[in-house]
Order: sequence, then structure tokens, then C-alpha cells
Amino acid sequence: MSARSATIDRLYGARPRSRFLRVSAWLAAGLVVASWLGGGFLRDPIWTARRAANLQRFLAEVAPYPLQGRPFDWSEASVWAGDIWRDHLGQATAATLAISVVAILLAGLLASLFAVWAARNVSRPDPFLAGPRAEPRVRRWPWTAVVVLARVVLTLLRSIPEYVWAFLLLALFGPTAWPLVLALALHNAGILGKLSADMIENLEGPTLAALRGAGASRGQIVLGGVVPLSLNRFLLYLFYRWETCVREATVLGMLGMVSLGFWIQDARARNHYDEMVLAMACGALLVVIGDLVSALAREVVRRA
Amino acid sequence: MTAPDRAAMVRGPGPVGARLVVLLLLLTAGVWSAVTLDLDLRGLWPGRDGWQLAADFFGRALTPALSHEGVDIPPGAPPLLVSALHAAMRTVIFAAAAMLPSVVLGLLLGFGGSTAWWASARARGRRGSVSAGARLRSTAGPAISSVCRLVSALLRSVHELLWAVLFLAAFGITPLAALVAIALPYAGTLAKVFAEMIDEAPRPAAGALREAGATPAAVFCFGLLPGALPDMTAYTLYRFECALRSAAVLGFFGFPTLGYHIAASFENLYYGEVWTYLYVLVILVVAVDWWSGQVRRRLVT
Repeated sequence: MSARSATIDRLYGARPRSRFLRVSAWLAAGLVVASWLGGGFLRDPIWTARRAANLQRFLAEVAPYPLQGRPFDWSEASVWAGDIWRDHLGQATAATLAISVVAILLAGLLASLFAVWAARNVSRPDPFLAGPRAEPRVRRWPWTAVVVLARVVLTLLRSIPEYVWAFLLLALFGPTAWPLVLALALHNAGILGKLSADMIENLEGPTLAALRGAGASRGQIVLGGVVPLSLNRFLLYLFYRWETCVREATVLGMLGMVSLGFWIQDARARNHYDEMVLAMACGALLVVIGDLVSALAREVVRRA
Repeated sequence: MTAPDRAAMVRGPGPVGARLVVLLLLLTAGVWSAVTLDLDLRGLWPGRDGWQLAADFFGRALTPALSHEGVDIPPGAPPLLVSALHAAMRTVIFAAAAMLPSVVLGLLLGFGGSTAWWASARARGRRGSVSAGARLRSTAGPAISSVCRLVSALLRSVHELLWAVLFLAAFGITPLAALVAIALPYAGTLAKVFAEMIDEAPRPAAGALREAGATPAAVFCFGLLPGALPDMTAYTLYRFECALRSAAVLGFFGFPTLGYHIAASFENLYYGEVWTYLYVLVILVVAVDWWSGQVRRRLVT
């Protein structure tokens, strides 16, 4: 018994410990507690008579307009919903889906262009060969500059939220679909680009070095080695990000452009909460379908 | 390169079919989308006003404002950098506070939605020690797991800004409503990913504990969870980074986070100020990204 506990004590004493992790845990906990204490989230009374009245009015107005003040009836509700769908929601749902698709394709294109230059094993005088110190510093620094520049651009693209991009681009391009598409494309290009660059850096060196040894140029190695090796993973990331694109495409319309968000904002401005919730439901349905399609596509890619 | 990648290389490339079909479908979807949206490449060429705006706006990218650009600054207004720091603080407070309910709800729904937890209960039920509890778990398990997955899917199918709009309409504007608006879809996303991570955690330890006669709860806590915890922590930190962006965007709806100032400065044509606020947001995001990278490096290896 005592021998066993000595072993356990020794294992316990030798367990990996990191001061950084301990400090991080305390920091995270402190941040959350301080935010709750200092944020004043519970300062306002949660339940007041005015809020109760507000909620009651909202719930009354969420019922489809022809049915307000009457018992709910599925057939009438579906006629009401069908009319609105044919009038504009159907088109807006299709537009939302289309925006997400164009945006993710554009994001994928931009990301692959940037990722190659941001990957440290490609962007160097002798791609994929030997350790980084083997090359003279004079030949190294232009490539280091390329890597840093590409990564800074990707970070800027990624750190600014889609909504802010769309807000800024709307002023530039006017109310077409482009600001939405570009906003989603830029933000996601930042994310996909960083993920892809890291992925390329983690590719197995010897395979690519062998191509180099056989005399392939940088471009040939990228097309003949990097692309085939990383395409599957890249497609997985692409579909993951597409799921968030579908979500965001709805919301960005609230800035005043084609997509479901436009009609959500429109119905809200007119206090037509029934139509607002219907448009939100279309968006939610689109998200659920998108998630299913994406899961299916990812499964296919994973097996390919 | 992960093990499956290496396996794929040893196997040689599979039939080109599936991947090619996916790529072709993607392209077809892209063409359909461009036609549906009536996208015109000429629309990418801004008019003269657009170019002027682009030049004015991007011209300030390298010279963000360090003090207010407006001529008539109301007396008592804090200097720009103080106001930017204050907005950054509000953004961090919103994001950090929202993570607490998100993680709690996400853990509950994630545990409930993971099949591994219920599988460990079932395996024990089969092995003969059929307590009433084990039998209950083995029959109710799949049902509870489906319900948890459904709830988390519903929560995350509505975007946080739409939750915010919904709460604004139903309750009126309060910081708590905004906080819950962020927390609900984040809980749904965390639950989905937590459930997947628990299900994909290595099983040998859990099997050994089960053979030794540990209770399902012990198998879960000491056999499965430790394997999934590093990934779960890293993912939670990544969601915190996302929460920072969401909190910033909530500013567009009147909450005093960074988005509020970005919108206000842009509408006043104070582009230098816009860049100041944008760079503050970038610094926040990059800092959290660095932190989560350091934590991940120490946890995962």
C-alpha cells in the first residue's frame, strides 16, 4: 500500500505544471468576475411593469396579423405565411443563400492566394529545404518581409467583423449585393488564409523537399505538392466557414441591402413583429439546412 | 500532418470522383448564386464619389487619429484615446461576462448531447450490474441526447444580433438583454463542439476504468473528460475572441462598445477616428489570439 502511494506521489509530483496556465486560469476567472461585478448588468431591475406590458404587447403582435386576437389556426397562418413568402421572403431567402455561396468562394480564392505567401516553408529562398538558418541572411529577409506582410493583412481582415466591413463597404459601393459579399469574403479570407497558411507549414517536409530535389520550381511544388496534400483539409475549413457565412448573410442585410435582414429591419421599423419573426424563422431554417448540407459535404470530403 | 493524412498518402490518392464532384457542385452553386444576385462586375468599380471616399478613408489607415477630429468638441468630453480605451473596456466586459452563461449552458447541453456519456452508461447496463439508474440511463440516454442536440441547434440557428433585435422588441434595451443575446447562440455553438470533442476523445482510459468497475460518472469525469479538456479550453478561448467581435458589433445597436464609436465617427466623416477604434479592436483580438495560442501550446502537447 505504502509503495503504491509512493508511486502515485512521485507521479503526482512529476505532473506537468505550467505557471503560465495557472496565471491564465486566474486571469480568466478574474476577468469574468470583474466583468459581472463592474458591468452593471444586474443594476437595472429585470422585471418592471413597463417591461411586462411591453412583452405582452410583443407576444400579442407576434401572432400572424389576420389571426391577432383570435385562436390560432394553422391553415390561415400558412396562407398568410405563403403570401409573404411569394411576395418577398422567398426571393430574400434565395438571395441570402446566394450571398453566402459567392462570398465563401471569393474568400477561398483570396485565402489561397495569401496563404501560400504567408506560409514560412514556401516563402523563403529555398522552399522546403533545410533549416531556416542554412540560408544567408541577405537572401532571407525579403521573404521574411513577404511572410510578415501577408500575415499582417490576414490579421487585419480577420480581426474586423463582417458587420463592420459591410458598414464601411456600403458607403463605397452603394446598396448592391457587393458590400455584403465582399464583407463576408474579406473577413473569411482572413480566417481561411491563416488556417491554410498554418496547415501548409505543417505539411510533411520530405515529400515537398523531394519535389524540390527533382528540380520543381516553387510554383510547381505548390500546384503539384501543396495543393493536392492540403485540398481536403482546405475544403473542410471552407464548409465550416460557409456555415457561419449563411448566418451572417442574413444579419448583414439589416444595414439596408438585399437579404433576409433587410426585411427583418423593415418589419421591425413598422412594428410588424409577426413578419419580423417569420423572416427570422426563414433565416433559421436556412441555417439548419446549410449546416446539414455542410455536414454532408464534409463527410464526403473526409472520405475522399 | 495528422495520421489520417499520412494514411491517405500511403493508400495513394483515392478515386478522384467524390472530391471532384464537390468542387464542381461548389462552382455550379457559385454560378447560380451570381445569376440570382444579378452580380455585375462593373458594380465593383465605385463611382467618382466612391473613389473619393475610398481615397479619404483608406488614406487615413496609416495615420489614425490621436485626438478628436471634430471642431466643436462638447466640454468635458474625454480625450479620444481615453474614450477608445473606455470603449475597449466595455467590449471586453460584454464579451467576458457573456462567456460565463455560454460556457455553463454549453457544458450542460454538450454533456447531454455527447453520445459517449450515454454509451458508457449503456455498456455498464449490459455488463450485468443492472441498477435501476443504469437501466434508466440506457433507455433515456438517446432521447436526452437528441433533445440536447436539438436545443443547441435551435439556439445557434439564430444569430446573436437577431436575438438582440428580438429582445429589444420584447423587453426594451438593457445591457442584460444584449448579454443574453450573445450568450444563447454561443452556448449552442459551444455545446455542439463540446459534444463532438467529448465523443472524439481517446477511449482506452475510459474502457480501462469501466473494466475496473468505475461508475459511469467516474468513467466520464476521469476517463473521457481529461482527453477532451485541452481542446475544449482552447475552443472556449477562441469563442471569447469571437465574443469580442460580437460585442463590438452590438455597438451598432446603441451599446457603448467599439462598434458604437466606429459608426458614429464614420457618419461624422472622422475617418482617422474610425481607424483608431478599428486598430483598438484589432489589438484586442490579436491579444486574445496570442493568449489562446500560448495556452493551447502548453495544454495540447
